[in-house]
Amino acid sequence: MDLSAVVAQQTAAQAAKYKSVAVEKEIPLEADVGLLTIIDPNPIDAEAYQADREVHLQALARDGVQALLAQVFALPTKSSIHGPLAILPQPTTKLPRAKPLPKPRMLTKWEKFANAKGISHRKRINKVWDEEKKEWVARWGYRGKNKEAEQQWLHEIPANKPADYDPRAEARKARKERKDKNELAKQKNLEYNARMQAKRDVIDRSVARSRMSTASMGKFDKTLEGEKKPRGVKRKFAPNEASSTEKERSMALISKLDGKPVSKKARIDPRPNPGRTEDVLNVRKAVKFASRGAGSLALGRSLEKPKKRTMSKTSRKKMGGRH
Amino acid sequence: MLRTVKPRNARVKRALAAREPKEVEDPRTAVFVKGTTGSEVLNGVMKDLLALKKPHAIPFSKKNTIRPFEDTASLDFWADKNDASLFVCSQNTKKRPNDLIFARMFDHKVLDMIELGVESFIPMVDFKTPKAQPGIRPVIHFGSELFDTHPRYMQVKSMFLDFFNGAPMTAVSLAGLEYVISITLAPTPPNLNLEDTSASPSDLPLIHFRCYTVRLLASGVRTPRTELVPMGPSLDLRLRRHQDPDPEVLKHAMKQPKLKKADITSGLGKKVKNRETDEMGDVRARIHLKKQNLDKLQTRKMKGLKPTQMEIDGEASDSDMDPVAGDGEDS
Repeated sequence: MDLSAVVAQQTAAQAAKYKSVAVEKEIPLEADVGLLTIIDPNPIDAEAYQADREVHLQALARDGVQALLAQVFALPTKSSIHGPLAILPQPTTKLPRAKPLPKPRMLTKWEKFANAKGISHRKRINKVWDEEKKEWVARWGYRGKNKEAEQQWLHEIPANKPADYDPRAEARKARKERKDKNELAKQKNLEYNARMQAKRDVIDRSVARSRMSTASMGKFDKTLEGEKKPRGVKRKFAPNEASSTEKERSMALISKLDGKPVSKKARIDPRPNPGRTEDVLNVRKAVKFASRGAGSLALGRSLEKPKKRTMSKTSRKKMGGRH
Repeated sequence: MLRTVKPRNARVKRALAAREPKEVEDPRTAVFVKGTTGSEVLNGVMKDLLALKKPHAIPFSKKNTIRPFEDTASLDFWADKNDASLFVCSQNTKKRPNDLIFARMFDHKVLDMIELGVESFIPMVDFKTPKAQPGIRPVIHFGSELFDTHPRYMQVKSMFLDFFNGAPMTAVSLAGLEYVISITLAPTPPNLNLEDTSASPSDLPLIHFRCYTVRLLASGVRTPRTELVPMGPSLDLRLRRHQDPDPEVLKHAMKQPKLKKADITSGLGKKVKNRETDEMGDVRARIHLKKQNLDKLQTRKMKGLKPTQMEIDGEASDSDMDPVAGDGEDS
């Protein structure tokens, strides 16, 4: 018997036995397999809709699901206890996030060192094998192994220790010190990173400002390695033809050149002082310095009567110390 | 604004850490709020939508005076308090009978809202058919060209997609595709203007919200033949008011994280060749090496196998070495 005839016969038999899984539409359906979503871009057939709405809606949904399943079943799978799992691709539909993106975390001193040395992070499990108990116990926390030395029922006291030596307290103190050391390192990391970020911000700001000074707004400047490209900086052009605003702009610039620089730091004494001249001595600062920050009134008082020497706490202690 | 708490113990610390923004976000939680006036239909709708959204749903038991299109302050507050980013509000008034408002949040502020009127409703219990397991992810089907072309329906699509299927998944059980939510529109009226977002509600086609369970039948090929069975609820919805997202905020909300290499290898992204994870969780990889040079192999040391003086000379002249240094130990 001819082979092709056999194949044709079998496919015919199969077609008779099973319903088709093919979905034929005028416009092919769009699937977002990552979100298990299928979109049917074909317009709704008004006639079929009017004739029997529910049947038509169900038929549309069935075709959609069938088309999506064809794609899901073609995905690579992995096995699990619940049966085969299809590994889904990334979703293609963009949806808004519920919260903003997390801010990148600064690396700690150890993490920087580890990166430089190529040490990869290994998660340390909180379980350690106890040889005596023959079971896994917690490394820290409730009944933690790190509290073993202070919680044991019998303590060995070395011969050279004094009579009031408390091994339990000593072990606890040592553990607490380790903890505090880590806390301190953590705090230092935070402070250091905050300081560095502040420095970086200042540099970024001044670099951005210096770029503004060239005609191309820094477009053709030489950049250092790792330097970011300025974004959102656009050149602004004044109109080429003579306009009424040109004179105003020039005059504004010239008047600025003539005046004294206005700085927030140059504090001017708001009190009226007719006798004041453009003197070299900054009286306010001088008074502050002479009175050690106490002010002019206190300075005047101290000049009137010489300050009575009072014994400070520390000196009293020194004199009347242990006798 | 909620008062900020400084965590005093590990439990609170963990709870607050869980609320912080993540690169790959958790599924959105929806809060179901009843307005001051309700109806039997609305109660049923809220109950069935809650059943579909569970376990990522929080029903409010009391009635609340709330008009999200006039003031969103309450929604912002509840979003922060419940760590929820979706809201369904129901209200039945003479002007807007059987009214549902879907609101989506970004950073605990309202991003966009759509208002839908329930025209007809058949609850889930009226369908005497098997139901899907609670908490299982549905397949979503959108039927109509308007979901790609009309701005109002694009918003509806985005909202419903976010509501039921927004969280990304790495894998899905082939047997776990249990039910489908089908959102289909009535036939498009011939004179519908695609640019006009302020068209009157009666001009815009109805939204048919249907749920079906999926039956997989043998088909003789790998892909099974699917048949659907109505599961309920069945809703016919009419578009009413809407609030579009602020373009600046939306731009911020649409920012996506850069995928890390580890996430790509774990299946979120592209497939990696020659690499797999076995049942023990160890990474198994096949590496390809160059052909081994057997001439340099160190075999047993014998006097007879020693290189001759001629060979040493030849090697030394190649590498510019003093030939005498080679046999120093012999003399």
